[in-house]
This record gives sequence, structure tokens and C-alpha cells, in this order.
Amino acid sequence: MKLISKTLIYYLLISLPLLVIAGLLSYFLIKAELRDGTDETLMSEKVNAQKLIHSLKDSKTIYLSSDSLSNIKWILGKLNSGFIDTLIYDQEENENVGARMLRSYYDFNNNTYQITIVKTTMEEEELLEGILAAFALIIGFLIVSFVIVNWLLSKTLWNPFYKTLSELNKYEIKNHEQHKFTPEKTLEFNQLNVALNKMMEKIYSDYVQQKEFTENASHEMQTPLAVVKANLSLLMQSPHLKEDEMNRLQTIENTIKKLSSLNKALILLSKIENNQFSESETIQVKAVVSKIADNFIDVIHSKNISLDLMLYQDISSKMNPTLAEILITNLLQNAIRHNTENGQITIELKENSLIISNTGNPLTIPEEQLFMRFKKNDASKESLGLGLSIVNSIAKSYGFDINYSYINSSHYFKVVFN
Amino acid sequence: MKILLIEDEPDLRKSIKQYLYQEGYVVESASDFVKASEKAGVYDYDCVLVDITLPKGSGLDIVKQLKESGSKAGIIIISAKNSSGDKIKGLDLGADDYLAKPFDLAELNSRIKALIRRRNFDGNKSIVVNEITILPEQRQVNVNNELVSLTAKEYDLLLFFISNKNRVVSKNTIAEHLWGDDSDQMDSHDFIYVHLRNLRKKLLDRGCTDYVQTIYGIGYNFKVS
Repeated sequence: MKLISKTLIYYLLISLPLLVIAGLLSYFLIKAELRDGTDETLMSEKVNAQKLIHSLKDSKTIYLSSDSLSNIKWILGKLNSGFIDTLIYDQEENENVGARMLRSYYDFNNNTYQITIVKTTMEEEELLEGILAAFALIIGFLIVSFVIVNWLLSKTLWNPFYKTLSELNKYEIKNHEQHKFTPEKTLEFNQLNVALNKMMEKIYSDYVQQKEFTENASHEMQTPLAVVKANLSLLMQSPHLKEDEMNRLQTIENTIKKLSSLNKALILLSKIENNQFSESETIQVKAVVSKIADNFIDVIHSKNISLDLMLYQDISSKMNPTLAEILITNLLQNAIRHNTENGQITIELKENSLIISNTGNPLTIPEEQLFMRFKKNDASKESLGLGLSIVNSIAKSYGFDINYSYINSSHYFKVVFN
Repeated sequence: MKILLIEDEPDLRKSIKQYLYQEGYVVESASDFVKASEKAGVYDYDCVLVDITLPKGSGLDIVKQLKESGSKAGIIIISAKNSSGDKIKGLDLGADDYLAKPFDLAELNSRIKALIRRRNFDGNKSIVVNEITILPEQRQVNVNNELVSLTAKEYDLLLFFISNKNRVVSKNTIAEHLWGDDSDQMDSHDFIYVHLRNLRKKLLDRGCTDYVQTIYGIGYNFKVS
């Protein structure tokens, strides 16, 4: 719910009962005031009637009004005296109308007279209705104008907020420099923007530091690895090595190789994510695929895998040549590594996509983890668990779609060059 | 053959020095930019191996200095920063080759030999090992004066063996030499055996001695007495 609607609802929730109470209060106050007025008139008429009684020659009934409701009567017994609310029949209107009646008794010359004075309260009621109608009209007008003013105000007042919000939505840490929260005239929004700028700077510098750390750590590891490798080479030259010593050297060498591959892969990942492969040219995917397939043909044959190239259509894509090679190499390597005995690899180029498929056992990890770092299927010893995440990183940095599916005991990887 | 090795890491410097010394090179070394710049300015070398990140300066400036003084030395950059930017910059400045750490000493050795061969235009253009003669410019191999037709991989393998003759080279090192960065992606190096078997057979068919010794567990040794 929008803030403006919420404010309005709260305002109405609070003001409506208040207005109702205020309306009722004024209704009763005005009504009481009007009644007091009526009663005063009745009282003064009663005094007039008493004066009239003094001038009476004999005791009889005198009508004080044309409708004969107000009268002076000579009576024997007394009823209750005082003000009474009553209804009288109005012949003109042909209905009962409200009236106020004053009944009092007056003793004069040993005679008791009953003075009855009746006054319809129709005028007062009409007055009250008129006042209440005016009151309701004012309140209605107030509410409507409040809604309109509030709506207009919040449009202009909240404008900087919506600006900040859309800027936040667009924010991408890679394009940090392009995002800036501009100063605002409203104090609160200005404070918000200043705070946001500060926060973004902090996040960005942490991000850069983190990135640099990965990169530097990997670089720093290269030299010690070189030292181990060099010494290992020298050690291998020793003429007196026994068989089990050689086996150990081989194990060490393989491990060092794996470690340096891992290191290289991590550096590569951080470079891709840092956009350090900015220079790009038009790549003919067909030529790259052919070249890489050629380079891997020895490995493919040594594993009794048959390779089927169906390069029906060439695709041109503007990208970094190194990354193009890495993308295809990693996919092909993946197809070789996770293949079966006497398996099959098919590389297909058609309609802007590259499809590499291979026979293989179903995934042992959830499909959505396939492109995550260090997630390995069947925990294969040789795999670093970085190949596909590098593929994903490259695809993402160029906006290519990459899909995986498993159909008829074959894994399919499809890269759509957009 | 005189080589200047510029590397700040003492252990690595020592190992490279020892390996190259065994190859019969005279190796001098410098551990920082100032010492390296001094030596490069005073003496003539056939080959300079230079690390980019050095104390007190950048190895790239040494490359610049050598080129500006008209040095004929071949220059190989050895760097922990395997960035294409540094590589292009180094090669643009006039370096001949670029080797990223961590590298194999056998690989470094074969790069130095190839570089010296390319530089030595006036000298002997062929490599002769007993009955084997290699003409690198034509990528041609003769055994007992008879041409042996080798595939590209077999030729590279033979040249690598001969560059590192009488040394144990591991299968990993061979794979990395023949397949470059892609060898990182290859799980087992059994397929090297296929190329080696074919190479051996072709050489033996021409009456060549079987120089290749299998070193159990590690790799091979091209043994020439």
C-alpha cells in the first residue's frame, strides 16, 4: 500500500469519529439552546396570560391562539405543571408536528386557572437541520480538499524519494561510478542521500578490497609454487632415486599441478568478474570450435570417445578471443570428463547457439548447483569444480544464455549467443 | 652462453641457476632492479630472464633499458602476473617470450634454447645429436641423412626431448609443453604415450638408437651419451 493511501486512511480513521462526535455535540448543544429560547418565549407568554387573568370579569375559557391550543381555563383540580414535549396535529401539513407546551396554574380571586401555552418547534427543527447540513457540507468539503491537497503535496514532496528509489533499483556494483545520489533541498531526503552515498562508497571499497584480495592472494601463490616446481625438477634429476621415491615425486608433481591449475582458474574467474578482458573482436565460433576440437582429439581418442561435429552454421560474436576459447574448451573438457566408456560427444552449431552434448550418468548434484563454484558431480578427483562456473561467468558477462538439460542419458549444454 | 637471471625470490633464483648451470650456461643473477639495471648496462648477455615485479622497480623498465641501449640479448619475461596486459606490454617493448609462473625448468630451458637458436642466425642453424639432425626453420628431422616425416606433435616432442637431453622430464611437463594451457584441463596424460610410441617407431625404423628411457612413475629421459 502506498504511503499516501496509508496516511489518508489513518487520517480518516482518526478524523471521522472525531467529526461524528463533534457533529453530535453541536447537534445537542444547538438543540438545547433552541429549546431554551422556546421556553423563554413560553414563559413570557405565560406572564402575559397571568396579566390577562387579572382583567377577566368572570371565569371562563380564553383562547390565546387561533388554533385554540394555547388557552386559559378555569378549572377545579390541578394537574402537573411544567414544560412538556408533545405532538400536535397540523392541519395544513396534515401530519403530527413536534411542539413544546407550558402548563401552569394561577390562583386569582379564589379561582384556579390553568394556563396552557403551546408552540410548535418546527422552525427550530428546520433551523437545526439547516445548521447540521451546513456543518456536514463543510466537513465533506474539508475531507475532499484534504485528500486532494495531500495527494498533490505528496507527489511533489516525495518526488526526491522516488528518484532515490529508482536510482537504488538501478544500482549495480560493477557500474558503481555511474551511480550518485544527488543533494536534495528537503533535509530528510538530503540526509538519506548522503547516508546512501556513504554506504555505497563503503560497500564498494569493501568489494574492491575483497576482489583485490582474491587476486593478490592467487598471484602471491604463484612464486612459491614456482619454487616448489623448480626444486622438484632438480630433484627428479637425481640418479639414485628408488621406485617408491619416484612415485612420491610424481604424486607431489601432480598435486602441485592441480594447485597451480586451481590458482590459475581462480585468477581467471576474478579477472572475468573484474571485466579485465575488455578488448573484444569478432569471433567466428566455427573456427574456434574446430581448433579446440583438434587440440583435444588425442584425449578424446585415448578415452575411446567418438566426436561428432555438426557445424552447420557459423556464428559471429563480438567477444574476447581468450574468453571465447576458454568458454568452448571448458564445455568440451566437461563433456570429455563426464563421459562414459565408448561414449559420444556431439558439438552442434545452429541458429545462434552452440550445443555440446555427451553421453553420461545423471547428475548427482541438484541441477541448480551445476554452475556453482566447487560443486562437483560424482566428486571426480581430477575436476577442480571451477570449469562450469567459469563458463557461466563468461556467458553472463556477455549476456549469453546458457541452458542445461539431461535427455536420453545425455547431458546437453546450450549456449545462445545473443 | 651467458645468461642474466633477474629474480627476487632467492629459492627460485637458486634453482633456476643450478638447472641452467647444468645445461652448461654461465649464469649471473640480480635480485633487485638497481643491481639488474647495473649489470644489464655493463655486461653483454646472450639471454636475459627478467621478472616483472622486482624490489625498487619494474622488470619492464629493464626490458626498455636493454632495447634502448641496443642490446642483442634475447629477453624472456618470467612473471607471476599472468595477465595479457603485461604480456602484450612486455612483448611490445621488445621482449622475445613470456613465461608465467609457476613454470617448469625444462620448459624454461627449451624456450631459452629456441630463443638462442633464433638469435644465432650466423651460427649453425641445425641441431645435431649423433645420427639425428633437426632443421628448426624447416621443422624437418633427418636420421642418418634420411628424412623422417613426423606429425607436428611428434616433432615438438622430439625437439623438447633434445632441448632437455639427459634430463628427466615429467609427463606433466611434456603435456604442458605440447598442449599449453589446455593441458590443465586434461586429467591423465596417457595419450602422450601414443605420440611417444609413434615417434619412437618412426625413429627406430630409420635405424636410430632408442634414446628415450622411461623413468618409472615420473616420465622420460632422452639419454645421449
